[in-house]
Amino acid sequence: MFAWRLLLREFKTGDVLTLLVALALSVATVTGIGLFVDRLQQSFEVQSANLLGADRSVRRDEPIPQKWIDDAQQAGLETAQTASFSSMVFGGDGLQLAQVTAVADNYPLRGEFLVDETLFGVGKALQEAPKAGKIWLSSRLASLLGVKLGDSVRVGEAPLMVTRFLVRDPGSATSAFSIAPRAIINRSDLASTQVIIPGARVRYAFLYAGDPEVLEQFDSALARKLGEGERIRTPIERGERIGSTVNRAESFLLLAGTLAVVMSGVAMALASARYVKRHLTQFAVMKTMGATPKRLVRLMVFQVSMITLLGIILGSGLGLLIQALIADLLSSLMNSSLPSPSLNKLWLGAATAIISVLAFCAPLLARLVNVPPLRVLQPNAGLQVSSTSLFAFGLVGMYGLMVIYAGGWRLPSIVMIGLAVVTGLVFLVGWGLFAVSRKLSKQSTTGWQLGLAALHRRLVSNLFQLLVFTLIIMLSLVLVGVQSNLIQDWQAQVPENTPNHYLFNVQETQLEGIRGYTQDNQITASDWFPMVRGRVIEINGEAVDVLFPDRRNEPEIVERELNLTWADQIGEGSTLVDGDFNAAGVSIEQEAAIEANVGLGDELTINVGGIDYSLPITSIRTVDWQSMQPNFYLILPHSVLSDYQANYVSSVFLDDTSAAGFYRFMANYPTVSMLNIGELLKQVQDIIAQLANALKIVLTFILGAGALVLIASVRSTLDERLEEGALLRTLGATKKIVRQALLIEFGALGLFAGLIGAAGAELALVGLQHFVFEMEVTFHPLLWVVGPLAGWGIVTIIGVFASRAVLKVPPIRLLRSI
Amino acid sequence: MQDTETLSALTIEKLNHSVTTSNGELDILKGINLDIKDGESVAIVGASGSGKSTLLGLMAGLDQHTQGTIKLYGEALETLDEEGRAILRGKYVGFIFQSFHLLPSLTALENVMLPNELKGNGKADDRARELLEKVGLSHRITHYPRQLSGGEQQRVAIARAFASAPKILFADEPTGNLDSKNGALVEDLLFDLNREQGTTLVVVTHDPELSQRCDRRIEIYDGELKES
Ligand SMILES: Nc1ncnc2c1ncn2[C@@H]1O[C@H](COP(=O)(O)OP(=O)(O)OP(=O)(O)O)[C@@H](O)[C@H]1O
Ligand SMILES: [Mg+2]
Repeated sequence: MFAWRLLLREFKTGDVLTLLVALALSVATVTGIGLFVDRLQQSFEVQSANLLGADRSVRRDEPIPQKWIDDAQQAGLETAQTASFSSMVFGGDGLQLAQVTAVADNYPLRGEFLVDETLFGVGKALQEAPKAGKIWLSSRLASLLGVKLGDSVRVGEAPLMVTRFLVRDPGSATSAFSIAPRAIINRSDLASTQVIIPGARVRYAFLYAGDPEVLEQFDSALARKLGEGERIRTPIERGERIGSTVNRAESFLLLAGTLAVVMSGVAMALASARYVKRHLTQFAVMKTMGATPKRLVRLMVFQVSMITLLGIILGSGLGLLIQALIADLLSSLMNSSLPSPSLNKLWLGAATAIISVLAFCAPLLARLVNVPPLRVLQPNAGLQVSSTSLFAFGLVGMYGLMVIYAGGWRLPSIVMIGLAVVTGLVFLVGWGLFAVSRKLSKQSTTGWQLGLAALHRRLVSNLFQLLVFTLIIMLSLVLVGVQSNLIQDWQAQVPENTPNHYLFNVQETQLEGIRGYTQDNQITASDWFPMVRGRVIEINGEAVDVLFPDRRNEPEIVERELNLTWADQIGEGSTLVDGDFNAAGVSIEQEAAIEANVGLGDELTINVGGIDYSLPITSIRTVDWQSMQPNFYLILPHSVLSDYQANYVSSVFLDDTSAAGFYRFMANYPTVSMLNIGELLKQVQDIIAQLANALKIVLTFILGAGALVLIASVRSTLDERLEEGALLRTLGATKKIVRQALLIEFGALGLFAGLIGAAGAELALVGLQHFVFEMEVTFHPLLWVVGPLAGWGIVTIIGVFASRAVLKVPPIRLLRSI
Repeated sequence: MQDTETLSALTIEKLNHSVTTSNGELDILKGINLDIKDGESVAIVGASGSGKSTLLGLMAGLDQHTQGTIKLYGEALETLDEEGRAILRGKYVGFIFQSFHLLPSLTALENVMLPNELKGNGKADDRARELLEKVGLSHRITHYPRQLSGGEQQRVAIARAFASAPKILFADEPTGNLDSKNGALVEDLLFDLNREQGTTLVVVTHDPELSQRCDRRIEIYDGELKES
């Protein structure tokens, strides 16, 4: 096919290749980020599901209706049931009250048990339930009873054999208050225990798992059948904080990716401009041969579509490869493989390619089709360029892309305004620098003179190049700076020795003993907080059931029973936002207040131990949840809670060496519950590590795009340079002088770009530190060294490389070139 | 102008052409009347800047003239839009330029095939080889323009111009960039093919020898016609 062959021929001229590479690069960036974040999100969901033991769970006080199970199985979902109850366990030295869970054979549907064969061991993963006739005891329960593996114990009336020590079961992280001494038995032994008698308090759980779509359908059907106080638990809500981190990371990555896309766009525009310039006459010639405008439009559309398609295919392939690479790196780090990406993110890359082509290439290429045929006789016909409309297209395209990625208008608008300001400043400073260097060059030797004079001679194109280089250098510096800041910031959220175990149900009399042990053994522990349970039942005198009729939209503080505390001082990690912390009223956490739409002065009625207390809100706090300190939505005056017997909570950090000893010690306090949240923390840390890697890769892409822009912009002046070079040579300038002139020109350009870029980056970083990260402002002397040096080096190398033809081409060739 | 038997290839009546510049209206061509018979060869001569190229461009329908009528094989150019003029060019017109204007990314053969391929004609290949043979370049068909000398490039351009078997060929200083030896060679080819195919030839030239070989010579003086 003719059009096809014409296109293939064009690949030899670097412009089409530049176009294709730029296109592929931006598609790869966007798909790479999209796919990777998608996998991250999925893996996070899977991990959370592991902690839940299933994709969904519903707990209730009545046995699970058979209809639920049948319906779920009919829909193609896997189901399992558990039943939890307190019961005496008899064995060895005596008897002990324990929390017993009877689980189905196929439990857990997601995740695994952690069990061990030695008492107080750390545990190994096991994805099966105890067989009929067997029982797994927590180390604490086993040591309290004084039994070992192979011994027989009795739960109610059923004799069972101890086969393993339980470290953690999949559901345990979710139920903080059931962590009394624990035991797991098979559901088939439930009847023979004879503990399930009318009036016995049993918590039944219905678990199911399957395809996301099926789940969603089944959820909405099941939700209608749920009774009072019952709801469907999903993995996400458990780790919402991590979820929001992932979301924030995605916008950040995509916004960083926008830079690569925009830079590729600039490279595409430059390549197109050069392509158009070189092909104007050719198109005019084709017109003289009778090619109609329509025919040429079809030809152009075909070629551009082919390039776009090729760019999308190459870019998507590259994007897939890259995210696979990151994922591979990570899975070794996480010793679990990420789920494969859902391919719908590929559309984002394709959309990017199409918008880029429309915004950056199409307006230029349209000019080609509209070339007056008269150009064959009058070489200057059809060169009038109105660059304002071109700029407008490019800017609109850029803005549109950013809006798609950021999913909003605000950030893109700020970025665009910032860009305009930077452009103005760079043009002003650049113009001044060029003028000064031209003055200076009057006294220098020829190479210097020629090089510096060239800066001023191609003023507009050099100012543009200066702007592009400055932006690249500045953004790279800012990104590197932000990356280290961000990661420090993120890592600071989970510092080492962050508590990974919560202790609940500690009586006042037990405090001293436990505190003594942690101090003697250098175990990091938080303060002790007294805790009383209570429920918010009215807001400003109106019942919460009336205020929030739809259970699903209930704010957290009315949804469930809350842990209440009192304190004389606002705790570590909390900050007072408004009001007086020590006033005789309720202190509320800010997000919870916003969610429940309450503020200072609103009155909450709280039921504690059957008595209602109405108190005004007198202060609002923010809470750093990531600190893993015990935190509370509501803090009440001591006077209200002093009548109730409080349990105390604290959190401690245990590493692998201290854990066994601490577990053994805690066997002395059988009533104290311990909750291990190490898994959750590890998840957060994994994600941070993953994001750090992803950010590095995005940075590489941005630099790649920057290099492309550099090459394309140097190439756009290549014809002019070739002519000049040949002219200089015919006038007797040596090759050495021509080379020196190039080195000086690009060196100066890079140096200036580096200087201005460093200044801009410094400003931006200081601004970010102050306004965004709210950190102490520091200056970055290294920027001022790295910026100019890198600018000088990189621009010189790429510039001289891209214009090497000027040195190679003998003057005579110019007379022949077409 | 007596033998009205012969068909007119090109008729120009009361042609005026002016362009707007920053200094106001500039009249380039004034009151041109001209009739060119089918198969005739006509040389247009005149000083630089007198309006030769402009006239040539208007005759070939490359631009819209300001006033008057130009009929190319009976079709009035002023009634056509760019699309229609392009179709007309494809039907009747061939071109040769001073600076050859070969497409640098195509080989000699592909350049010659181009006019027919643009029209979607199937036999482009055979015809192109035949023509390249005629201009004596059958051994260079796979070469790119940059590998050819100026004279060779112009011969390829001639082959390309004749590829679509045009009824009328416009040439703007076809030998202007060539030495006398190559110029003569190109000239010979031009007239050979003109005779062989009965093509009407309109040549703008400074070359006295080339203008001598034409049937008619028309001189433009500051935008006005003077036949000699
Ligand atoms: N678009 C235009 N705008 C302004 N002036 C024009 C334009 N087109 C042609 N001219 C002017 O009209 C005059 C005739 O131009 P034309 O190219 O026809 O001359 P020419 O006879 O071909 O000259 P040469 O022998 O140097 O090629 C010139 O003075 C030229 O500058
Ligand atoms: Mg001319």
